Amino acid sequence: MTAAEIFDRGYRKFDGERAGVGKAVRSVTWHTIRSILGLGRKGRHKVFPVIVAIVAFLPSIGFLALAVLIGDLMEGELQPEYWELFGLPIVAVMLFATLVAPEAIVRDRRDGMLRLYLSTPLTAPTYLAAKFAAVMTSMAIVVAGPALLYLAANTIQGLGPDGFANWLEVAAKLLLSSGIIVVFFAAVSLGAASVTDRRAFASVAVLAALFGVSIVVNISVESVGAPRSLLVLDPLSVPLETAARIFGENSDGFTDFDTGEVVPTGLVYGGTALWIAAGFGVLADRYRRIGAV
Amino acid sequence: MPFVTVISAAGLTMQFGSQRALDSLNLEVPKGVTGLVGANGAGKTTLMSIALGLRPSTSGTITVLGLDPTKDAAQLRSVVGYGPERNVLPEDMPASDFVKHLAEVRGMPKSEARGRASDALWLVGLGEERFRALGTMSTGQRQRVKLAQAIAADPSLVLLDEPTDGLDPVQRDEILALIRQISADYGIDVLLSSHLLEEVERICDNIVALDAGRLVAQGPLASLVGDTTTITAELVEIVERPGAVDAVEERLRAAGLDVRRDLNQLRVTAADQQTSLDAIRDAVAAEQARLRRVVVDRTTLEDLFTEAPA
Repeated sequence: MTAAEIFDRGYRKFDGERAGVGKAVRSVTWHTIRSILGLGRKGRHKVFPVIVAIVAFLPSIGFLALAVLIGDLMEGELQPEYWELFGLPIVAVMLFATLVAPEAIVRDRRDGMLRLYLSTPLTAPTYLAAKFAAVMTSMAIVVAGPALLYLAANTIQGLGPDGFANWLEVAAKLLLSSGIIVVFFAAVSLGAASVTDRRAFASVAVLAALFGVSIVVNISVESVGAPRSLLVLDPLSVPLETAARIFGENSDGFTDFDTGEVVPTGLVYGGTALWIAAGFGVLADRYRRIGAV
Repeated sequence: MPFVTVISAAGLTMQFGSQRALDSLNLEVPKGVTGLVGANGAGKTTLMSIALGLRPSTSGTITVLGLDPTKDAAQLRSVVGYGPERNVLPEDMPASDFVKHLAEVRGMPKSEARGRASDALWLVGLGEERFRALGTMSTGQRQRVKLAQAIAADPSLVLLDEPTDGLDPVQRDEILALIRQISADYGIDVLLSSHLLEEVERICDNIVALDAGRLVAQGPLASLVGDTTTITAELVEIVERPGAVDAVEERLRAAGLDVRRDLNQLRVTAADQQTSLDAIRDAVAAEQARLRRVVVDRTTLEDLFTEAPA
């Protein structure tokens, strides 16, 4: 005999324990990740995330294929430095920062969710923390994913770092570099996107922040003769240079070929920190103004 | 902590630049359904924002469910539901996911949130429609979804900002009946803001009336609206009894009643309704005047605003 079970109990009082703010933040984070990646949404919402993922993973998969096919020939000139791996998916990261990440906050303002969220135990800071966590988690897939995939493939092919300690060091540096790049682009993207509640305008704002400033800085350095150290304000090159410095290297762009002078590492880190602080600052200021219902 | 009043405010003031949105409000909102009435710009939404802890007031104090909204915002907002005025919701999200997600954010365990979202949507009459995307729903259905998300996490108090905005009369009646039901059947206190006085008068136990940020009136609905002790008697001047209306007026004044005359209409006020009615009957009979109609005057919510000092 099967025991009867009542499924429709109807609306009733809740006697259990309510979860706190931490659970609310996790819930919004997961909800936003699903929204960003288009999960549970119509096909058209999955187009950009899929394009970004393909662009991000294609180079690593290419190197992986080469490593499998030509093996030892890859060693040396053909094998990129680990920090250079971040230069490959950078187009994907920029696409993500421009087209996908703004959706995390712009949509909530447009469709009234922000107003509802702020009527729950969430506050503007905890709401933004949830949104940052969601954007960073999603972005980490396209930043750290290809690099770690390449490291794993190299290791399997016997082309990876020598010894376990070296392997761990490279893995840690990859993760640290990924983390900084993700925080950098998340901060810039959300900061720029916070100036509007229209997705298209938000993308334009992110483009202006990334490419507009980059163009101005590079013209100043290359054509007007401004000091090369000004490149630390170039949002397209300074995060990659930071990754290079973490690996103890530096890129050609940050070296003066005439004098051989290299832009100091402290300045590179300072430029990265400045951009992150600016992104957070703009975001915090915008939500301080619009935070109250 | 037990509380007698749901919302209590003293000297509550909110200043936006040179504009004073709330002006030294002293409020006591009791349990039940309370109507927060006033024209657009009266300060209703500002008061709700302060009550939810979304804005600090410029001065004065407020407690909601015995908690300070600025200091205990997270604790307070886990037991307060809110239905915003703006009728925009995520277009491509199914109603059940929307209500479930907000129930989780308000502190419901994940395992409980799904069931409660479903129960709340059934309660508001959207059980069969709960998997439909919000963008495909009518204005009336969206208002029901907003009500469902406000109650899904079993709040003690629900703040509803213009919940009948954009609805036709039938839909309005249904939403008002639902609001009455969630209070009567489930003991959820409701603060309902509206600029439509008639609908508030129909379902609310208590009233808080604001005008340009100032408190116009507050208290139980029954004490603010309803029959008065003033009776309007309309008489007919006939050829056989010239001057009968004047004579009736004089008799009523002689009996010590307050009489105001407008053509053939006499507005008679006494200490109680029966005294006025008896006096009118006796005066009309004595003067053999002809009475067209007798109406007991009634105070409406609108009178609270028209009679309020400027």
